[in-house]
Amino acid sequence: MAIIEDIRAKAKELLESEKVRAVLGYRRSTAGILAEPAFIASPADVDELVIDATCVENLALYLVNEKKRQKGEREPDTRPLAIVAKGCDARSVAVLLQENYISRDEVVILGVSCGNSGVIDERKLNKALRGKQAKAADFDDAGNCKVTLMDGETSVPAADVMADRCLECEVAFPQVSDFFYGEKVTERDFSQRFTAVTAFAEKAAEERSEFWAHQFDRCIRCYACRAVCPMCYCDECVVDSTNFVVDATTTADDKANRICWINRSACTSENAMYHMVRAIHLAGRCTDCGECERVCPVNIPLRLLNTMLEHEALEAFEYKAGYDPEQPSLISSFRDEDPNDFIR
Amino acid sequence: METILRKDRLGEWAAKLGEQAQVFAPAFADEIWNFAPLEQGTEIAFEGINTVRSAKEFVFPQREVLYRFQLSKGQQPEITQTLPADGAKVVFGVRPCDGRAMVRNDKVFTCAPCDPYFQTRRDQVVFIGLACATPPSPNCFCLSVGGSPSSEDGLDILMTELGDRYHLKVITAKGGEIIDRTAEFFEKATEADSSEVEKAHTAAREYPQRTLASMEKVAEGIKRNFESPQWEELARACLGCGACTYLCPSCHCFDISDEITRQSPVAGERVRTWDNCQFPDFTMHTSGHNPRETTGTRLRQRVAHKLLYFVENHNMQQCTGCGRCITHCPVGIDIVKVANIMEEGAGA
Amino acid sequence: MAEVVAGLADTGAEPQAFEPKVVAFLCKWCSSAGCDLAGVSRLQYPPNAVPIQVMCSGSVSPLYILSAFNKGADGVLVSGCHPGDCHYLKGNYYARRRIYMVHQMLNFIGLEPDRFRMSWVSAAEGVKYAEVIADFVEDLKVLGPQRKLKAKC
Repeated sequence: MAIIEDIRAKAKELLESEKVRAVLGYRRSTAGILAEPAFIASPADVDELVIDATCVENLALYLVNEKKRQKGEREPDTRPLAIVAKGCDARSVAVLLQENYISRDEVVILGVSCGNSGVIDERKLNKALRGKQAKAADFDDAGNCKVTLMDGETSVPAADVMADRCLECEVAFPQVSDFFYGEKVTERDFSQRFTAVTAFAEKAAEERSEFWAHQFDRCIRCYACRAVCPMCYCDECVVDSTNFVVDATTTADDKANRICWINRSACTSENAMYHMVRAIHLAGRCTDCGECERVCPVNIPLRLLNTMLEHEALEAFEYKAGYDPEQPSLISSFRDEDPNDFIR
Repeated sequence: METILRKDRLGEWAAKLGEQAQVFAPAFADEIWNFAPLEQGTEIAFEGINTVRSAKEFVFPQREVLYRFQLSKGQQPEITQTLPADGAKVVFGVRPCDGRAMVRNDKVFTCAPCDPYFQTRRDQVVFIGLACATPPSPNCFCLSVGGSPSSEDGLDILMTELGDRYHLKVITAKGGEIIDRTAEFFEKATEADSSEVEKAHTAAREYPQRTLASMEKVAEGIKRNFESPQWEELARACLGCGACTYLCPSCHCFDISDEITRQSPVAGERVRTWDNCQFPDFTMHTSGHNPRETTGTRLRQRVAHKLLYFVENHNMQQCTGCGRCITHCPVGIDIVKVANIMEEGAGA
Repeated sequence: MAEVVAGLADTGAEPQAFEPKVVAFLCKWCSSAGCDLAGVSRLQYPPNAVPIQVMCSGSVSPLYILSAFNKGADGVLVSGCHPGDCHYLKGNYYARRRIYMVHQMLNFIGLEPDRFRMSWVSAAEGVKYAEVIADFVEDLKVLGPQRKLKAKC
């Protein structure tokens, strides 16, 4: 993509003028073909930045993490952070703005359009390559994914290796941004939004129940899904075993009487509790960046749960997360005509 | 003892073993490879280079009940120890890196005082290793940490693929016992077979892998750069999740908690569950002070435990180079890269 | 002695009817008062519901609901003031949205929709409260014990 030159130039300009304290972007990784998050603080390093279909991470997470990190600093650098954001990432930033977790002057958004493609699903790619190892991969304009192998090149249909979230993405460009790179493509060639959710909801209740029991049973509670989610910014989570928010006024009783809502054991019922609490907590906040599902080492289809709630929010309350930082949030607002017929 | 099993008899042999033990083998389900109970009539498949979850859970499960307790009115609390009673297990397709990790786990759990839960499980399981013959995964580095694609450490039997046959080398008495019990499946291994095995093992070692400096150099580098600001830089993207250590075959930290099953009078279980040095609450003190508050200090703990402390304590690296922590890290944190940077001077 | 043994065997063959456990989160200002009214009016209704008074239906966290199921409840009820009557003006409107989402999610993961219910019961509606509980218990008896979310390790 040619836009990388523009992004590098902008990053350089922002860093040289000292308008931002760092640029959050992507760079090549030694761990595999996916790019890794890069914190570029010096104009000399901007050439490390890359942008392509392997830039999967949602960097909005680091706006949260860096903010938490700064709380512990004596003299924090108050300049904003610049962030390279795809459509879904920018919507996460919008939710953080909406919830006043960060303010608009704390972030400079370098919005990148995914055009008529998206990012790669590494598992799908590995499957498509049947054991061959990819060195690099990117989508081309012809609806294919060009893969550089150890020995030569190959090409696979884009839809076969694109992440599910991208296949279902409606708006693959940022609505909120300070600088914009790429083209706003509104007609996309892939599946409809909520295809997977609608299909799943049509299954029999017993089948759904067995499906989720199987999925929750496999969870190892590494909390990668929680850790990677920019919306999971609570200082203390129900599954944590200790208090994190301890200050001078926290009494020994407060600490001792901490409610154990969810046992530490990774068994089906407790895992189900964890995932349901997380899902409901993300209702109306999840922007479907799909990171939770990607990082899950055991491949639990978490997106299905989150997009189901996203679908409900849209159907029942005409609410979409991340499109407008000014709108009231889903659960802090209501309308008289909200569904009432489920109530006795 | 060395012996030969025809490939087409593997299923039969496993079924025979299944009469007296639970048999596990790598299986592809939910788009990933993992050890799963071998179901009747399914073929054992070894295509996956390595499972996502390691073989450590056969000896150190994520949840282990240590004892049950209950109170009855007017009586002493009743405590019943619950040693694992799952019975014998046979695990196929354990890769040499997971086998070597077992030696490390033994060091931790069975050097005095011996952990009875671990020991009971260890005594009941037979690990049938499979020498790696295909090109390794991009993140494998067993050769750099003293292992090899055909290492025998920690395994009971090592299987090597020879065309349409498997060559089996018995390593422990436990392994020998199951071969003797099912002697009808095996043919005698000849001198020629042994040299063919040697050839296969050598060939597997020739595949390029990622490289680390020597054990001493890496350990020395980490020690020298213990206070380096590089740790924070390298862990800047770290999420503080537990994917790396929960999947690691040699990570063994645990937490102990009580799980109440009846409120009044109280009854419940004391359980041991995996814990994880990458979680922010791992070292959280009651006071609210956290000595390893930042991701940098936690990354340093993980890397130093594997490549420095274990070397100092046991004269071996704890890492066996399976590469799971690199492959499954959501943000590409790479223990090989970290160790090499530290070894080379960390630039600060 | 033989009679005693035979008697025991009889009860063994005919298991006790299933009595569902219902956890009812009732808002202090309306539903809880309605529940009280049902009691002081000496209305006959199933004793299966354990009332838990909360300040407002809007203060019922989804975690309470999930936790009740986890701890073995066969059914969970959230009840508050009728729309427009909330003591805190809009708490029940917030509750309605949130509970709707929880309801849809529980349904999606395959829990029977009849296990989780919401109702509007005012302080004057003792009769309605008794009806809500009676209906709920009747429906739960058909469904049998809740095992899908109950803690089991």
